[in-house]
Amino acid sequence: MKITIALAGNANVGKSVIFNRLTGLHQHIGNWPGKTVEKAEGTLHHEGYTIDVIDLPGIYSLSTFSIEELISREYIAEENPDVVINVIDATNIERNLYFTLQLLELGRPMIIALNQMDLAEKKGMCINIKKLQKILGVPVVPVIATQGKGIHDLVHESINLVEKKYKKPKIEYGKEVEEEIQKLTKSLSKIELDYPKRFLAIKLLEGDEEIKKLIKRVETKIIKIAEKHAKNLECIHGHHRFTVIASERYKISNEIVKNCVSLKPCEVRFSDKLHEITTHGVWGYLIMILSVLSLFYIIFKFGNFFSDILVKSFMSLQPIFEQYFGTGITSNLAWGIVEGLIAGITIVLPYILPFYVILGLLEDSGYLSRIAFLMDRFMHKIGLHGKAFIPLMLGYGCNVPACLGCRIMETQRERLIAVFVTTLIPCAAVTTVILGLIGKYVSLTWALSLYVIDLIIVFILGRIAFKVFPGEPTELIMEMHDYRMPDLKTVAKQAWFRIKDFIYIAFPLIIACSFLIKVLDVTNLSESIENLMRPITVDWLGLPVFSGIALIAGIPRKELTLITLATHGGTTNFAAILTPVQMIVFSLVMMLYIPCIATIAALVKEIGWKKAIFITVFEIVFAIFVGGIAFRLLTL
Amino acid sequence: MPEKSMKLIDLKEGQRGIIVSVLGGRSVTQRLTDMGLTPGTEFKMIRKGRLCPVEISVRGSKLALGYGVAAKILVKVKE
Repeated sequence: MKITIALAGNANVGKSVIFNRLTGLHQHIGNWPGKTVEKAEGTLHHEGYTIDVIDLPGIYSLSTFSIEELISREYIAEENPDVVINVIDATNIERNLYFTLQLLELGRPMIIALNQMDLAEKKGMCINIKKLQKILGVPVVPVIATQGKGIHDLVHESINLVEKKYKKPKIEYGKEVEEEIQKLTKSLSKIELDYPKRFLAIKLLEGDEEIKKLIKRVETKIIKIAEKHAKNLECIHGHHRFTVIASERYKISNEIVKNCVSLKPCEVRFSDKLHEITTHGVWGYLIMILSVLSLFYIIFKFGNFFSDILVKSFMSLQPIFEQYFGTGITSNLAWGIVEGLIAGITIVLPYILPFYVILGLLEDSGYLSRIAFLMDRFMHKIGLHGKAFIPLMLGYGCNVPACLGCRIMETQRERLIAVFVTTLIPCAAVTTVILGLIGKYVSLTWALSLYVIDLIIVFILGRIAFKVFPGEPTELIMEMHDYRMPDLKTVAKQAWFRIKDFIYIAFPLIIACSFLIKVLDVTNLSESIENLMRPITVDWLGLPVFSGIALIAGIPRKELTLITLATHGGTTNFAAILTPVQMIVFSLVMMLYIPCIATIAALVKEIGWKKAIFITVFEIVFAIFVGGIAFRLLTL
Repeated sequence: MPEKSMKLIDLKEGQRGIIVSVLGGRSVTQRLTDMGLTPGTEFKMIRKGRLCPVEISVRGSKLALGYGVAAKILVKVKE
């Protein structure tokens, strides 16, 4: 028999840990049809049941504020999952129950997974589960997902729920509100929609636009009736109708907490002390700067070492390859494909993978949300809020997952600005070029200066973008959950999915493009291209002629610029073919001139091809402009 | 006699307050009430730095609020 379970809950309650525990490796991650919101599905088999699990996005409410909320409620109402498991953070029951109450209104059979019981205990909380179960009218299962405790019970209870007849619990609001809800529910008795009538009535009272639209299609009179009821409520309570209903819900959850949770006094915990110091007005910033710098230092120190070994061992394959396939044109072209593959691997394994693992650890432990907190006012200057700092950080690994990471921004406009500034962040590939060229042949100070210049440019362009795209910036409203030990499996999975973005989008393009460049080489077309580019490369940027093809090679993958520079300059000793000024100008242009082909593909996916092309063309022109200015300034 | 209300942002660190109302459009109001900042809710001002946003503790958890939004919330001081 087949059962479908939907996992729903707030952000950061350990929903994905439970999802992983339930489904193991049988997962499929895609997008919701037509939306840029991730959809995770998985299957498990248990006692003859095939159980499909859907992980809904982490949300705080079932209103229409965000697309995630809309998706979740549409899914539950229209697809009718057999069971909804509502994951609740045991350390933060009051806020979580606010969402639970709304889920209950959707009327599907429900189980509550009370997660992070261990942390709640440490916090001195004593939760009366039986009482909670009685008040809510649905099974409550204590869970410690990180240790796998309670997972089996969840499956067991789900099957139980499917086999038994589900009795809908009813939680009543305060007297005045409840009366209005019941009256309106009666008026809705003839309306047949996917949603339960009580849910529709409550949403109409709240003034939910989507539900209004749905009902208008069948019956317009009810909207007027609802308006009257809602006005009545606003009159009695003196607040906006939405606020009235929300207050009622919070009142109920507050009552439940008072009834079921008792607090024992406990000493100040380490996680609280850590929170205090990492958000401190002085120490917080110091710790942030130190941790970000050491992250980069470790990654690039380690990455350099590891990638050297990889490149050497791969390059030793070339003679063997030539032994088998000869040195003719076809073999040369085939080697181009291999080179593309190598270029990809030597950037993923040594740099991007460790970077994302460490970043994932910081994210899961809760530190990234503290950085978002500290960076909020700064990010506001470019029309974004603190959370945008997270995709920007991802950008230093690879721009592709960073662009997809911009989905955490609330509005389209903010996603666009965030995506735009993200493409200006030097990724790991760019860093290898800057370190290999400037760090090695000019000076480390100059290499670092390029990063500072880049940040200044990001800031200025971000600010211009903020002025160009009209609209108020969304304010930061973010919950900062307690610090916790990161769950290694969740981190590993997260890192893998981010890298998968890179592998699926970038790898094929890198390989195709390195093949194309080989074709240009073999057919001697590259020389004519170099000559065509002469006015830009030589006259405006003051670079040698052969740099033209190197800049083209950077389109598939930026680290190829360095390799191409070496092959076309005839030596790997760059000091012999480039002056320090040329190196700086070259690196600067390469850093800014075009998001690589894989990033362009990600841009198209996220913001549509028109805007993607606009950003690409703009950045090419801008980079050439900045490069020319830099050349003139440096040769004064 | 109703007490004088002030902006949330004008509270000092460590002071406790009670939410009176939220000024501003529906989307801000909705987000704030969804996060539990409904009228009558008690909270504590935890941090308000020169560089960082405001941090309050409400309904047993910590909430970060940007300066702009913190200026839109009317509160009264809890003695």
